[in-house]
Amino acid sequence: MTGTFHFAGLVLAGIRDNRMLWMLIAGFALFPLFTHIADLPFWNDVAMRIMLLGMAAMGLNLVLGYGGMVSFGHAAFMGIGAYCVGISQFFGLSNGLLHIVLSIGVCGLLGLVIGYLALRTTGIYFIMITLAFAQMLFFLFVSLEQFGGDDGMSIDRADFLIIDLYEPLRLYFLIWVALALVALALMFIVRSRFGVTLRAIKSNESRIEAMGLVPLHFKMTSYVISAVICGLAGTLFASWQEYVSPDIMHWTRSGELMIIIILGGLGTLAGPLLGAIVFLLLEEFLPVALGTVAPAYAENWMILFGPLLIMVVLFGRGGLIGLLDRVVFNRIFKRKLAVK
Amino acid sequence: MTLTLILEQTFNGLQAGVTLFLVAAGLTLILGIMDFVFLAHGAQVMIGAYAAAAITQATGNFFIGLGLAIPITFASGYLLELLIIRHLYRRDHMEQVLATFGLILFFNEAIRISFGPAALYSDLPPSLSGFVEILPETPYPAYRLGVIVVGLVCALAIHLFVSKTRIGAMVRAGANNPEMTAALGINIKILFRLIFATGACLAGVAGMMLGPLTSVQPGMGEPLLILSLVVIIIGGIGSVRGAFIAAIIVGLVDTLGRVFLPSILRLFFEQATADGAGPALASMLVYILMAVVLIFRPTGLFPAKG
Repeated sequence: MTGTFHFAGLVLAGIRDNRMLWMLIAGFALFPLFTHIADLPFWNDVAMRIMLLGMAAMGLNLVLGYGGMVSFGHAAFMGIGAYCVGISQFFGLSNGLLHIVLSIGVCGLLGLVIGYLALRTTGIYFIMITLAFAQMLFFLFVSLEQFGGDDGMSIDRADFLIIDLYEPLRLYFLIWVALALVALALMFIVRSRFGVTLRAIKSNESRIEAMGLVPLHFKMTSYVISAVICGLAGTLFASWQEYVSPDIMHWTRSGELMIIIILGGLGTLAGPLLGAIVFLLLEEFLPVALGTVAPAYAENWMILFGPLLIMVVLFGRGGLIGLLDRVVFNRIFKRKLAVK
Repeated sequence: MTLTLILEQTFNGLQAGVTLFLVAAGLTLILGIMDFVFLAHGAQVMIGAYAAAAITQATGNFFIGLGLAIPITFASGYLLELLIIRHLYRRDHMEQVLATFGLILFFNEAIRISFGPAALYSDLPPSLSGFVEILPETPYPAYRLGVIVVGLVCALAIHLFVSKTRIGAMVRAGANNPEMTAALGINIKILFRLIFATGACLAGVAGMMLGPLTSVQPGMGEPLLILSLVVIIIGGIGSVRGAFIAAIIVGLVDTLGRVFLPSILRLFFEQATADGAGPALASMLVYILMAVVLIFRPTGLFPAKG
């Protein structure tokens, strides 16, 4: 009986996850209306940043949450995506579609190579080798002097033929469309046989192997897909920032992406987006909050953020999605169980 | 001239290598025995460097600074394990990455609040700021030579401790099979805490010695952390011997690569290509080395478990 309930719970959790995801995405579509009425144009900028980091985190989550591979170097793909714009423009190619195609191609290829090499290892070794590849790319761009080296290069927003990204909200909705497409793709991937197999590999790899499937193929495919999504996020990030430097692929950004996922909820669709919202709002409001209590230390908000992270790890199982589940849903559900 | 340069840079590489080893020695045991991904080890380097620099500035004596900083780093490692780390052993790797990432943010910010964002500089005592002739007409800074000697002495001490003493045997057993070691009645919790504190202390020593050579600033330990992770992976997680060999290799490859790779490339390519690719390749060299090692030996050169 409990088994049935458990299964029903899983199905319902999946439906709720999807509903939450699309509610968030719909929220982002309506958000500019709110900022327009409330006259807070700055917050459009924050929302774009949230969508971009959320998109990258959603990509990483396919590997991290669904596949159980702890990749500590996905910021590198964001960086490659961003440099696809920078370097193309350096050679006079300003077409945004070209940047996106280039970014998908390069990140896919790079994801294939890095994935192939890194997936020979497991556990701590996998974490470290992905970090090493990311560092390798980081230092490569630091030392490429003709592309700005350490200082980076300023770039123009990409040119999308009829859409002029310098007009208000054009970039916002370009990012939104990309986010919605990524969400749609991930929803289908996660539900598909491929996604189910990927999750099965996470929980028991040798059993999948015994069933005659090759786990490496599934892992590699998911790695490449997540690399491409991170690359796409990076490409749009470059247009948003109008600037690209190796900072975008610093190893702390890979950590940030992981934080966003854990904060929101590992292995859920809505989790990374929810996590990105909370993470970036904390980034905006913690300095303000700290500034009102101790004005001299407003810049040192990380002193609160660090322990907060440790608290999330120690006490917050399942992230925010899990919290919502426990607080809102399970209470009702358990009551039903008790009645039975 | 060239021979002098090569010799000098080899010594610099050795100095970088032994410093890396001090950071990596503790970390390899933390990763290997406790299966714990500890990213805040760089913060221990920073704490050591700041403790030494601050005490040196306050007392005016370099050696008092060093002497007092050692127990401080040991205590900080001990307390950290007691308060936070021990609650994280049973968590999965990703949660460990996150929690220790949070620790990094906390320590960097705490240091920034207490000492300000600017770098601290500590001067060398006159007795160490001279030069030593390592070969006739080849002067080498006495302090760097001292760092090499201290590093080698530490390495020897760690080696003797791990291979000859009873606690060392427990450490090796722990690296090989922690559950079985615990089943044999060894108090693995205390063992963990001592290894952790000792590791923190060794990282702190590395930081103290680096203080006068580099700038002491928030986040100074992170590049060292990443490099020492590379060292550990190349050497094999949990192997102190592997960490030593890998640290020397990485130190030499990194230092010599940065100095000589551009001129070596110039032999094969045009000037412009070599000048462009040289520094890029040199800074990627250790990571390429690590990737190659992992491709051929996925558990490093001297894996401890087996």
